Amino acid sequence: MKRGKNHARILSIAAMAVLGTTLAACGGGGATGTGGAGSATTAKGPIKIWYSNNAAEVKWGKDMVAAWNSAHPDEQIDGQEIPAGKSSEEVIGAAITAGNAPCLVFNTSPAAVPQFQKQGGLVPLDSFPDGAQYIKDRTGDLADQYKSSDGKTYQLPWKSNPVVLFYNKDLFKKAGLDSENPKLSTQSEVLDTARSLVKSGAVQTAIWPSPSSDFYQPWFDFYPFYAASSQGSQLVKDGKSTFNDDQGKQVATMFQTLYKEKLASAEAYQGDSFAEGKSAMALAGPWAIAAYKDKVNWGAVPVPGPQKQDKSYTFSDAKNVAMYSACKNQGTAWDVMKFATSQDEDGKLLTETGQMPMRKNLTTTYSDYFAKNPAYTQFADQASRTVEVPNVSNSVQIWQTFRDAWSKSVIFGNQSIDDAFKGASDKIDQLAGQK
Amino acid sequence: MTRPGSTGAPLQVSNLEGKGPKGQRKRPALLGAQPLGLLFSAPYVLYVLGVLAFPLGYAVYISLHQFYFTAPGVQVDRPFVGLDNYVTVLSDPQVQRSFINIGIFLVINVPLTVGLSLVLANALNRVQKLRTFFRVSYYVPYVTASVAVVGVWLFLFQQNGLVNSLLGPLAPSPSWLVNSWLAMPTVALYVTWKQLGFFILLYLAALQNIPDELYESASVDGGNKWIQFWNITVPGVRSASVLVTLLATITGANLFTEPYLLTGGGGPDGASASPVFLMYQKGILQGNPDVAAALGVVLVIGVLLVTLIQKRLVGGKED
Amino acid sequence: MALDNVPRTAAGEPAQAKQNEASVEKRAHLGVGSFILLALGAFVFLFPFYYMFIGSLQTSPDTSVAGAFPNPANLTPENYANINGSINLLTGLANSGIFTGGVILGTVVFGILVGYALAQMQFRGRGVVFGMLLLVQMVPFQLLLIPLYVMIVRDYGLADNYLGMILPFAINSTAVFVFRQYFLQLPSTLFEAARIDGASELRILWQIAIPLVRPAIVTAILLTFIGPWNEFLWPFLVTKDAAMQPLAVSLANYISNVAATAANPFGAILAGACVLAAPAVALFIFFQRQFISTNIGSSVKG
Repeated sequence: MKRGKNHARILSIAAMAVLGTTLAACGGGGATGTGGAGSATTAKGPIKIWYSNNAAEVKWGKDMVAAWNSAHPDEQIDGQEIPAGKSSEEVIGAAITAGNAPCLVFNTSPAAVPQFQKQGGLVPLDSFPDGAQYIKDRTGDLADQYKSSDGKTYQLPWKSNPVVLFYNKDLFKKAGLDSENPKLSTQSEVLDTARSLVKSGAVQTAIWPSPSSDFYQPWFDFYPFYAASSQGSQLVKDGKSTFNDDQGKQVATMFQTLYKEKLASAEAYQGDSFAEGKSAMALAGPWAIAAYKDKVNWGAVPVPGPQKQDKSYTFSDAKNVAMYSACKNQGTAWDVMKFATSQDEDGKLLTETGQMPMRKNLTTTYSDYFAKNPAYTQFADQASRTVEVPNVSNSVQIWQTFRDAWSKSVIFGNQSIDDAFKGASDKIDQLAGQK
Repeated sequence: MTRPGSTGAPLQVSNLEGKGPKGQRKRPALLGAQPLGLLFSAPYVLYVLGVLAFPLGYAVYISLHQFYFTAPGVQVDRPFVGLDNYVTVLSDPQVQRSFINIGIFLVINVPLTVGLSLVLANALNRVQKLRTFFRVSYYVPYVTASVAVVGVWLFLFQQNGLVNSLLGPLAPSPSWLVNSWLAMPTVALYVTWKQLGFFILLYLAALQNIPDELYESASVDGGNKWIQFWNITVPGVRSASVLVTLLATITGANLFTEPYLLTGGGGPDGASASPVFLMYQKGILQGNPDVAAALGVVLVIGVLLVTLIQKRLVGGKED
Repeated sequence: MALDNVPRTAAGEPAQAKQNEASVEKRAHLGVGSFILLALGAFVFLFPFYYMFIGSLQTSPDTSVAGAFPNPANLTPENYANINGSINLLTGLANSGIFTGGVILGTVVFGILVGYALAQMQFRGRGVVFGMLLLVQMVPFQLLLIPLYVMIVRDYGLADNYLGMILPFAINSTAVFVFRQYFLQLPSTLFEAARIDGASELRILWQIAIPLVRPAIVTAILLTFIGPWNEFLWPFLVTKDAAMQPLAVSLANYISNVAATAANPFGAILAGACVLAAPAVALFIFFQRQFISTNIGSSVKG
């Protein structure tokens, strides 16, 4: 019976694989064209949108939808929170493949745009007559970072969360450090401050960036510091990786020292370590303020470079709005995009979420708000000097490659930074070069 | 070993003997004595073809091409690239590491599972007091979702968690789940704990089939519990052991959720990445389903080989 | 071996159980040492659940050893309220119920048919069907995931649809295996006699075979229950509408995204986990006796 069973087993595997492959070859990869994209550009009618599931943004989203809907009874928006996953990329990518992506997603990560574009899932905003102009008028020169390699723009730069260095004033005081003008203006000062914090016993971990291996983690440890060090250089420029230089390696060495001296933890914290007082510093953007509000007496300084700088760069942590090709009524979608990023709506976004709309001259346009909330002024100022993730093919894989090299050398110390960065750099050059 | 009711014919040999279904005269049974069986099996067969064969074939097809998914209606080039994806996948050091990780996992998990579940099943079979309570307590982990239970384990095994507090100075540093040497073993321990209930069940059932007379005669002959265990119980549940080994291996090789949740992805420096996790990373996150499919096919072939070998080793001359 | 049983009617099942009880009396009692070890093992197995329950009731997480004992000052049902505020627990449970129920229905109806056919019917292609049964166990779901997703959501348009959720799990192959093995235990003479008497196959199945394998059906249902009840990845991909998501998915989403903003994130996660686990555990405790039927023994032979 055993031999018979094995025979039957192998026979049926072979049969099924052959049968399935034949079926798939005939029917699979199914592309039955549905052309007529041109007409969709001007079509008007009801649309579906997704916005983020961050509580404050949900409120903004609902209000925005209600305001539009009351003025446009024939072009109703059906809005819902983005179905959450660990990262939005999976959800949107799956929706594109299935052909049921919404018209607009108010949470499109710039790192995913090259992939969605390759899938044919995005609508180039230049196909609208006032597309390119509107973006340029609103965002200024910063918008150039969001152009794709084919010269078109597939995303509307919406809001940024410039990453700064938060610190816990109470813990600093407890450690005997100056809590109003902390010594955090150069990278070596950060290291010294971290040492003092832990040595004094005020806190066990000075700073706790997440050590997980997700591809987007470098945006909250390496990238902001690298942006500050290199005065605004992206990870990849003109198809070549840039981080395998002194500046990149210096940042890596600083972090490696933090991990080696146990000033940072190699184990992920289940929750927000800064909000719960388990770490004294954190790299985050203004969105975090809502989470820290009653829990931490926080202060914030710009991310420092190797030397003191007046106007430093940082990572933008931007989230943009993109229009997806499954959209039937693209005309309405474009109008909604403009409405949602109008001066009024941008103002509401700022007030309700504290995140920075990617708009020129923030501080002057919303001077009232900043007068009432001076703590946010530094973010507005920082928002004009942000670096975005490079808009190249295989973007996600590139960041994963970097993260793996970072984990190996910086967090776990199993390889020298020189070797790890060299290996990553070579691989990334190759990936960026693919079409 | 013949079973009552088994006809012993494995392949599609029609039964030419005996009478037809309605007591009619013998006729050349082209479709077998009870061709209605085909109809009975049809829904299942359709289901397997639809839900397994077609996607499997599609996956094999994908693995042989340079392939990525597009929005419906978008035409792109998908050239046939033969075994290129397989070469890429097999020469990737991360993938190689993931197979080693699974090997470590299986070496720890399978023997532990087989041994522990048999011993526990034996004990649960004999215990009189609080029988229901004990049995239920061993099933409970199996019945709950990993998503839910992982939180507790993380809580227990984190750096300042309960386990390390109890161990005091003996606590490993770096702590369990961030230690390249201990990460996969910790995952193996978790999965063993979680799945044990199911295998205990299988053994419990098999144990019921060992006639008590054997034990009685053994104790009359002066054999103590240990001798009885080794000479009667273990051989008596041989086929259950085969099944447990096979199932534990298959489940272990296809591990994804547990290392993903416990070690936040690939673990310290890829020390707890499983092949299926890499498939997820490459296929879904990075948009390279061709490479992911190649990895998947390699995994299936590997599992098939390992289980065939195991069946020969553990099954012996049985059946 | 022990199972040359004369087929019994449905009333025979308790008779077998009684015989089982009698055997237990005859078996050697469990020694004190072994009992203690068993108890220790049970403690280790149950402890994480106890901790989960206690943790879900804490106002603020306490990871010290003392935290393992409920501290009246630190207890609150707030975590349950919190999580119910973010994800509708009842809707989630209902969706899980529909999903799981559909799978159980498909498995019982079609699985019994094919299990019986494989065991007691002779037909061309029987071996191939059996081979399929074995193969299904071997292929990891993740390999099929993307093609399946494309097929079900794009080609058949079953996104956000209960059918789309159920389809890949519709007939549980392990359950079919169990059915087949139970049916194999019944002597073929019984069926041959019935056929000679002129009974149709369906009638034989319904009136003779099924009543004899009732424990198998209960076992199979319980085994089949666990998969879809705890399944996360597939319903997550297939449903975008929060109102359609089973509890396992809502809980996972909550853990990933919202938990951090709750007052006691860890407590909230554990509260959700307890809610998800409770029905499954309750079901098992309830049907526990049926689960340990003697006849399941034959399901493990080969």
